[in-house]
Amino acid sequence: MRWFRFALLILAVTVLQKGLLARWSSKPDLLVILLVFFAIYYNTSDAIISSFTIGFAADLVGSPMAMGPQMISFGLFGTLLAYLHRVIAIKRMPYQALAIFVTSVLAGAMTHLLAYITKGEPVAANIYTVVFVTSLYSSIVGPFLFLPSAWWMRIKINRFGRH
Amino acid sequence: MLFTWFMLTGFIFLFAPQNLTSKFQLAFVHVFRWPLTIGGNLVMTAQTQQPLTGVVGRSETQYLNYIANLEETLAQERKKFKKLSELYNTYNTYVWEGTDFALADVITKAVEGSRTELTIACRKTTGLAKGQFVLGDESIIGTISDVFPQISKATVKLVTDPTSIIPVKIAEFKNIMKGSGNNSAKIEMVKNKIEVGQNVFALKNPGFLDAPMIVGKVSECNRNQKNPSIWDITVVPACNIEQLEDVAVIIMNTQK
Repeated sequence: MRWFRFALLILAVTVLQKGLLARWSSKPDLLVILLVFFAIYYNTSDAIISSFTIGFAADLVGSPMAMGPQMISFGLFGTLLAYLHRVIAIKRMPYQALAIFVTSVLAGAMTHLLAYITKGEPVAANIYTVVFVTSLYSSIVGPFLFLPSAWWMRIKINRFGRH
Repeated sequence: MLFTWFMLTGFIFLFAPQNLTSKFQLAFVHVFRWPLTIGGNLVMTAQTQQPLTGVVGRSETQYLNYIANLEETLAQERKKFKKLSELYNTYNTYVWEGTDFALADVITKAVEGSRTELTIACRKTTGLAKGQFVLGDESIIGTISDVFPQISKATVKLVTDPTSIIPVKIAEFKNIMKGSGNNSAKIEMVKNKIEVGQNVFALKNPGFLDAPMIVGKVSECNRNQKNPSIWDITVVPACNIEQLEDVAVIIMNTQK
């Protein structure tokens, strides 16, 4: 794992998510896409570290929501996905899209649930729509972003390989 | 073991006081202010289109809101004069005497989704405090929710935020407006039907607002589902918050 490149990638995506994409009401969650990418293409230890780091980055730009819920949600589901990938290979694009969708829905639901339970964050009436639409856009866009991410991280994406 | 340690860290952040963890978020925004602003400006440029006929431009919206505020202020002052005519000085009607305005640039916006707020960079933080009203295009858009004088930043809770509760007035009826998180707010259980397009004014609040100011316009007026004899009103902000680049904070009772 090239950690410096990883750090730059996460930083760039975080700034993009909070700056450029924040103005749109319906948008993909690039951080969830990266979460799935690292969970699939790296070993379990690296996947755990990267999942929690991506969750921390999501918390940094999650204002006004408090920090913590996204770090826990991303870390948990990223770890689960990494272990699942040991059993079921998630290499083909439709499976990757499904993994992104499910991870995004579950992480989004858990984030808002944790925030509601621990911080009393109000749940808006359109929360289900927001989580669903974000997950849908992420699953559509996500598999296409795996190739440029793999190029940046200097890994080769092949059907049966793991780094 | 790695998983356990990271989960522990996550729970520490989760249960830490929010005023402490929010400093991390503000620090990130402060450090990366330039790329964040660039990204936002690119989106606004891409979304700018030739104005359609019949659509009111931003400067005209500002002017109309200014006129609405003046008319309402005038109506309030006329009522006062009638009641206290023997004591009222007709040559001293400065409603905003003792008021200062702190101009601020908008850095980040979260207008849609479960929570709505702005992060602003204030040119001066002296006198800023929680609860102060924030103006955008001559209309109330929210209140200050947190101030960080060390980095000259503050966060603004918008009137559309689900935790926002503001006493308002429509026509002659006073009520409470609560944010509903979808770039709109709701006023529930109103006894009379209100026309769509009617202005909604934030009520006077001693120490924060000396005269009613426009906060939104009625977009929908529907019967309450549980009690059809009363009405639920949907209000949209009086200005396009997504296009705001700068705002003004109302600071009352400054020492001049």
